[in-house]
Amino acid sequence: MHLAPQFYLDPGSGSFLIQLLIATVLGLGIALRASWGKIKGLFGGKPKADEDDDDAIQ
Amino acid sequence: MRTMTTQSNKAQLTASFRDPSGFLFSRDGVLYRQVNRKYEKEYARLMESGLYEKLIKAGLLIAHVEVDQPTMEFDAVPLGGAGYKVIQPERVPFISYPYEWSFGQLKDAALATLSIQRRALRFGMSLKDASAYNIQFVRGKPTLIDTLSFEFYKEGEPWVAYRQFCQHFLAPLALMALKDVRLSQLLRVYIDGVPLDLASELLPWRTRFNFGLLTHIHLHAGAQKKYAGEEVRSRSGSMNKQAMNGLIESLGSTVRKLDWKPRGTEWGNYYDIMNYSDAAFEHKKQLVGEWTKNLKPTQVWDLGANNGVFSRVSSEAGTQVISFDIDPAAVEQNYRQVKSEKNERLLPLLLDLTNPSPAIGWANRERDSFGRRGPVDLALALAVIHHLAISNNVPLSQLADFFAETAKWVVIEFVPKSDSQVKKLLASREDIFPSYTRDGFEAAFKMRFNIHAAVDVHESERVLYLMECI
Repeated sequence: MHLAPQFYLDPGSGSFLIQLLIATVLGLGIALRASWGKIKGLFGGKPKADEDDDDAIQ
Repeated sequence: MRTMTTQSNKAQLTASFRDPSGFLFSRDGVLYRQVNRKYEKEYARLMESGLYEKLIKAGLLIAHVEVDQPTMEFDAVPLGGAGYKVIQPERVPFISYPYEWSFGQLKDAALATLSIQRRALRFGMSLKDASAYNIQFVRGKPTLIDTLSFEFYKEGEPWVAYRQFCQHFLAPLALMALKDVRLSQLLRVYIDGVPLDLASELLPWRTRFNFGLLTHIHLHAGAQKKYAGEEVRSRSGSMNKQAMNGLIESLGSTVRKLDWKPRGTEWGNYYDIMNYSDAAFEHKKQLVGEWTKNLKPTQVWDLGANNGVFSRVSSEAGTQVISFDIDPAAVEQNYRQVKSEKNERLLPLLLDLTNPSPAIGWANRERDSFGRRGPVDLALALAVIHHLAISNNVPLSQLADFFAETAKWVVIEFVPKSDSQVKKLLASREDIFPSYTRDGFEAAFKMRFNIHAAVDVHESERVLYLMECI
């Protein structure tokens, strides 16, 4: 993987690495949740509403 | 970093010099933002993809119009015929800073930043910074004011603003909620947010059992120390969109779980314990309302506003009111009320009048001092003068100077020594204030003001003055 963007703020080496680690774990979590939702869907469970559509958050 | 002090770019405002995408400048008293050619494609995506409309509709981004104004070209800035477009953003009525916000305000600003990032990702863009200074309260809601904050999202790349988000928002919020609400004042010292190693050291040990704080603050601080200065990007690997969404979601849930409730406040129940009768209170309200209506100020600063009772009276007269108080709990209560009543004309802020916000940042010109953001049309100083003159030993003549520099008109309440609140202040100390009398007060203020009205407040010994700066 080649990452060579010209950032205008220094994201910081440590911040970069820890972010990759945390995000990978959290991303897996999302993937698992999505698959679990699909499995439940097969057995007639209702799919959860998309939390990301957050116009109501504000 | 570009320097700001060449002759040619004096009109460029000093808070926006870091970003090569463009900058703010002022021409004939109007505020513009230049979009540099370097940012042409990103600007086009923001405007044409539907992201701009979506953010405007949600009240998350400041609106702007493209104007036919010449761009500014600076010899000193090697950007190569840099100017592309000039836009005129909606003017923010009052610029405030994160160290002047209550817990709830900083929390809402953090959640707004994450909301913007989530929406941006859906349109193939991403925030390239997450500075708390890019958020301002407009019509009561946290709003992104930097239109040029978006870059193209490239799948695989981490969030470049992650560190900044943790320093500007997550660390101070965690410290305020879990250690002491007054730690928001660290932001006044650290302009790029609270250093994470400091936050990690100050936070209670139990916060390591909170997954969000463990990872985004404690482990994050550790990683920063371990990899400081190392070149890691080439071997760092990739972060897919799902991972990016997971990160943003985790930051959001960590922030949402942090809470602070105003209790044990200095003034929280002030109106319940003070020596005011209902008649005095109503009379004061009536005078403040009448005077505001007659003066038609575009903006009012209520100095020592408590939870904003009189600010509301002023704002009902149709004016924008900034409601300052020293007590974080009073400001929080005021903000919660603003939200529940959907008040678009009132902004509560934290301010210590005896030590108001200084000018900070590069060359002391990035963030304005309290005084530089004035003078305002009308200032209210109700039940506050005795605290400044007696508790803080400020001579009356200096108080008159301060108010004359702060506002064109003032409504000031004089609280005499015979008042029980003043008696309390003098109970444990020597009375070294022989001139603190109604006559002494008037003599001092007449040096700087014309007194237009002096009304005895019903059923009290207090006097309400309406004065105009000479």
